[in-house]
Amino acid sequence: MGTSADRSASIADDIRSAFGIEAEVRRPRRLWMDVPPERLLEISGWVKRRGFEHFSAVSVVDRPEEGRFDITYHVWSYNDRVLLTMKTSVGRDDPRIDSLVPVWNESVQVHERELHEAFGVEFVGNPDLSPFFLEEWDGPPPFRKDFDWRSYVRANLFDEENEREKPYFD
Amino acid sequence: MIERKIGSNGTEYELFFGPAHPGSGNFSVRLKVEGERVVSGRADPGYLHRGFEKLMEYRLPVQNAVLSDRICVFEALNWNLLHAEAMEELLGIEPPIRARYIRTIMAELSRIQSHIIWYGVFAIGLGFETGFKIAFSYRDYVLDLFEAVTGGRVYPAGYICPGGVRRDLPDGAEKLIRQTLDKIEEMLAWEKSGSPFFPERTRGVGILSLEEAIRLGATGPVLRASGMKTDVRKEDPYELYDQFDFDIPVLEEGDAYARYRIGLMEIAESVKIVRQALEKLPQGEVLHPSVAKLAAKVTIPEGEVYVRNEIARGEGAMHIVGNGGTNPYRVKIRGPSLLHMVPVLEHLLVGASVADVPAIYWSLNVCPADLDR
Repeated sequence: MGTSADRSASIADDIRSAFGIEAEVRRPRRLWMDVPPERLLEISGWVKRRGFEHFSAVSVVDRPEEGRFDITYHVWSYNDRVLLTMKTSVGRDDPRIDSLVPVWNESVQVHERELHEAFGVEFVGNPDLSPFFLEEWDGPPPFRKDFDWRSYVRANLFDEENEREKPYFD
Repeated sequence: MIERKIGSNGTEYELFFGPAHPGSGNFSVRLKVEGERVVSGRADPGYLHRGFEKLMEYRLPVQNAVLSDRICVFEALNWNLLHAEAMEELLGIEPPIRARYIRTIMAELSRIQSHIIWYGVFAIGLGFETGFKIAFSYRDYVLDLFEAVTGGRVYPAGYICPGGVRRDLPDGAEKLIRQTLDKIEEMLAWEKSGSPFFPERTRGVGILSLEEAIRLGATGPVLRASGMKTDVRKEDPYELYDQFDFDIPVLEEGDAYARYRIGLMEIAESVKIVRQALEKLPQGEVLHPSVAKLAAKVTIPEGEVYVRNEIARGEGAMHIVGNGGTNPYRVKIRGPSLLHMVPVLEHLLVGASVADVPAIYWSLNVCPADLDR
């Protein structure tokens, strides 16, 4: 299979004519596009109808210097054999984004639930954002860049009186 | 199982399947049952959460190659490969062709080994101890081979690393691989000789329709057992998979029995791939020349990649972001078990018989380690 069978360019054309957004073909079968957060749900609905049935993953990248979270959604089309990545950003002070559960249903629900716990991003419309891995966690979202896990662990989990744990307090 | 009575009529209970249960691994499901029927199940993961995504932000690529082993105990080499491919794409390097062959061989042997474990734990989940013991003894032939090639039986310590593989195959490895494949075929022949156990216990149990499988995010053997002909190795080829002749086994039924058969059919296909790779295996280097620098601190350029592979359980993927530092800025690991063990499992448990819970659970080729990461 070479680039001749690759349909990412024609999908990029469809995206341009539907939304006026330039999608970039980074390599065969890899398409990346930037999506404004307020249009995410609308564009995702179209993308799913265009054949991107498989929701592969969603990832959050914390960028404290720029004051934002980048959120990347990776979806795969079984028909066209193309992976589309939709990238959007939300402000770090009030990280809220529309949930994609109305579009990709259960397959996105659990991903969002996990990222809500790890980064504190609010996925508006997700029916269940309850704790996933971290029961009884009262610290800040632990995957954020400004979470100082060393001092958190020292303050909450180590005992200064304990002979073996003393060195951590030097 | 721990149980707790919740209803007043004496038939409603909450049952805990796992985590300290030999039949669940490091994972638990809270079952609401009414008599013998499961009303609902709620997955309760996190017992193996090691925070690899965060930890990798504090480590060099050469260390992350070793960490990537531990994402899934059952198929360490497949996760090695995923990490290596993602780092190579980010760094813009290509491994030598001989390394590509060795990686393909090792990835397929890893799949075979993982599917044998799948067979074994599936068997013991149903009470078929002979199947478990036979599977784990055949698995040992593959582990002997892994030890000879990588130095580690279960964890290869980053054998497949960014830039190629850490060292070339040892003398006599090709003969050893062929002997191992013969042993695997011996196990498949034994399996075909016909124990009525699996069909009796798994036919018609835990039926997942194709539409539900796609909606719930199933991939790999689980999706193929529900009638979808799809495989990342064919549709989004990586390494050398577009050069080998192999089939994608598909079954329509979508029940636990179909998933059990898919596993065995896939072992046979993987044996075919390894034999072809051995035929064509070229001579040459196994590490990219710049890889010596990788062992020290290498600058990961600004950028991000998303790499997906067909690992034994389904679609595995990594999203790695670089920002010009020596460590990756962010790593997202996508394991197939996250979907198989939460939405798919919770869906299949509704209305099932309590006795079928282990059959449904193990038919999904689960790995709590790649769910939790």
